[in-house]
Amino acid sequence: MSRNAGSDVKAAYLFIAPAMLGFFVFVGYPLVRSFYLALTKYNGLTDPVFVGLGNFRRLFTTDPAFWPALRATGYLVVLYVPLSLILGLALAMFCNQRFAGVRVVRTLAYLPVVLPAVATITLWKFMLDPQVGLLNTILDRLGLPTSLWLQGSGTSMPSVVLVMLWGVGGTMIIFLAALQSVPTELYEAARVDGASPWSVFFRITLPMISPIVLLQVILQTTAALQTFNQPKILTNGGPGFSTNVLMLSIYNNGFPTLGRIPQLGYASAQVWVLFVIIIAVIALTAKFSSLWTYSDTSD
Amino acid sequence: MKRTLGVTALACAGLLAATACSGSDSGGGSSSGPVTVTVMTWESAETNAAIKKALADFKDDNITVQLLDTPSGQYGDKLASLTQAKKLPDLFWCGNDTEQQYTSQGLLVDWADKIKDGNGDFKSDNFVSSAMDNWKTADGQMGGLPSLMNTYGVWYNADAFTAAGLPLPKAGWTWDEMYADAAKLANKNGAKYGLVADQLTSGDGPFTMSMYAVSAGGAPFTDNVNHPTKAEADDKYKEGVEKLVAAIKNGSVAPPGYDASNVQSLFAAGKVPMTFGGQWLAAGFQTDKPKIKYGFAPFPQVQTPTTLYDSVGICTPQYTKDQDATFKVLEYLNTKVWDAVLPASPVAPPAYKPAQASYFDALTKAQQTTVADTVKADLAAEKTVGVRFTTQWAQQVGDLTTANYQPILSGKKPISDLPAYIDKINGLIKQGG
Repeated sequence: MSRNAGSDVKAAYLFIAPAMLGFFVFVGYPLVRSFYLALTKYNGLTDPVFVGLGNFRRLFTTDPAFWPALRATGYLVVLYVPLSLILGLALAMFCNQRFAGVRVVRTLAYLPVVLPAVATITLWKFMLDPQVGLLNTILDRLGLPTSLWLQGSGTSMPSVVLVMLWGVGGTMIIFLAALQSVPTELYEAARVDGASPWSVFFRITLPMISPIVLLQVILQTTAALQTFNQPKILTNGGPGFSTNVLMLSIYNNGFPTLGRIPQLGYASAQVWVLFVIIIAVIALTAKFSSLWTYSDTSD
Repeated sequence: MKRTLGVTALACAGLLAATACSGSDSGGGSSSGPVTVTVMTWESAETNAAIKKALADFKDDNITVQLLDTPSGQYGDKLASLTQAKKLPDLFWCGNDTEQQYTSQGLLVDWADKIKDGNGDFKSDNFVSSAMDNWKTADGQMGGLPSLMNTYGVWYNADAFTAAGLPLPKAGWTWDEMYADAAKLANKNGAKYGLVADQLTSGDGPFTMSMYAVSAGGAPFTDNVNHPTKAEADDKYKEGVEKLVAAIKNGSVAPPGYDASNVQSLFAAGKVPMTFGGQWLAAGFQTDKPKIKYGFAPFPQVQTPTTLYDSVGICTPQYTKDQDATFKVLEYLNTKVWDAVLPASPVAPPAYKPAQASYFDALTKAQQTTVADTVKADLAAEKTVGVRFTTQWAQQVGDLTTANYQPILSGKKPISDLPAYIDKINGLIKQGG
């Protein structure tokens, strides 16, 4: 290694030092600390008491809220991820057309993403009110059956997912960028060969954007696993445990309602369970991605 | 360079030391110099303004009272962060469960001896006795004093009752009458349910159901909300649950999961004919006049009048700088401040009985006679039951209720599952102590 190369390395370390410092202070330390707390009984007020795997044992054996929280989280992921991908892709394909006003349509589709989340979710809550909400009022006027929406145990999670899909513009914008990077010659060749639109979609578009689909699957799944705002504002986990997703359960244990003592050690144990689930899901998705993603290996 | 670093380090250490010393966790006691006593409430801006005005009349050369600004909506978060940072104000509004849990953690100053004999009239005998009993921990400590009583009853839309040809609810009416009225009022004039009783169907529902059992001569859900030794659901209790399940099933009563967050405005708009609620709604109705003629009745009964008891209060952290000065302000808050605040906003009757007159006068002046009568009846009720556990494991009981009790009310689980639910709670009681 030359003398210059050595000073380059030092300079490189110097440049990344602030980022690394930030990582260790704001990610590394909390990670280690939360793992330690997961092994303790800790309320944030008095010193932690080491309980080993006691919190995890309670989670998996006696906590009546934990398995429903896992089920609710799984249900949300299964319902939301495919729908957001399909809807996002469909919107992107529509916005990828050439027609008058396409820019306005793109702006409108993306607008919900830039609006304040809490405000829009609260508006949705009003609209989904079974008694005085806009949706039921419209259905009623049209002579159609109304729904309990957020207040029915069977309809609450689909309603939460409906509100989450309101922000599908974020997925759309990434798909739109991917669609615009597909070489137009491929489409022209397919048109010359007389390929049907379905054939073009499944044989050209989808394979060409499959790496972005993979990215979206991972991003949307991790986001869905960490969903908090919508269930917190819309239902606070109810009715019953039907929308009490893992993140909400963690929050309620760590930051309980007025008068209750926090269970920060127990909440930390839940955080680690969620962390392991997220890592496992990403690892599995990445492992099997080669089966359905297209990669250009030619030189 | 080294010298600069050394000076900087020394300056930092000095700053840190100064910051640490300026904290308020220097232990209790009393000091001879001027003292500032800080107060934090969860009240609205209007009520806080009235409290501030009343506190301005507090005269003590050595004591300055400072009311802290707190957004009432985020009081819980504010309290949690102040607690964990050990920066709680000298006096802060707290619920009975907060007081019990914080006292058991050694976080609050113990006023038990100070209030036992008291200063002049300011002694425990002059407080509502059920509130004082409930504010004591198992070992007799009192981390705060009750300030206002919460009483509960049934708010009813008098217009809807009259239109349906039903007699207005009044003291002595029965649970059967209430459910029959709810059935007649359901699905009329934009009202889906005849009765919205969040207290019966939420996580606190099992405790509220105690009223039925106790009124019928049975046992309450638990023998003590602070230091329980058992939970039980005897035959009378089961009978009460059966009646509620039937009423939910036939659509008279809103089921568990009904969003009761805007029930007050729905009631005021005439879309909820009957709802369980606290007396504090009267203060809101006084300013935002509902479109309907309304009234407030005591809870129905089977035989003996039975009601819920609950009180909020004022707590003091164990590390308050001057306990004597803080207690003087606490006494002033309990004895004098309500006279200035309650006439404009009659939210609740004070737990300190000599201060109750201004509350009832305000209700009478505002022609809220049914509210005044019901609150008086509640305060004098022969039997009372607690609203929820104040124990540290109360959250776990809440989870068991969501998993077991609420599905019974919704008809998703049979009533025969009730004993299994009770067994699980008794397991927690045994475990949690």
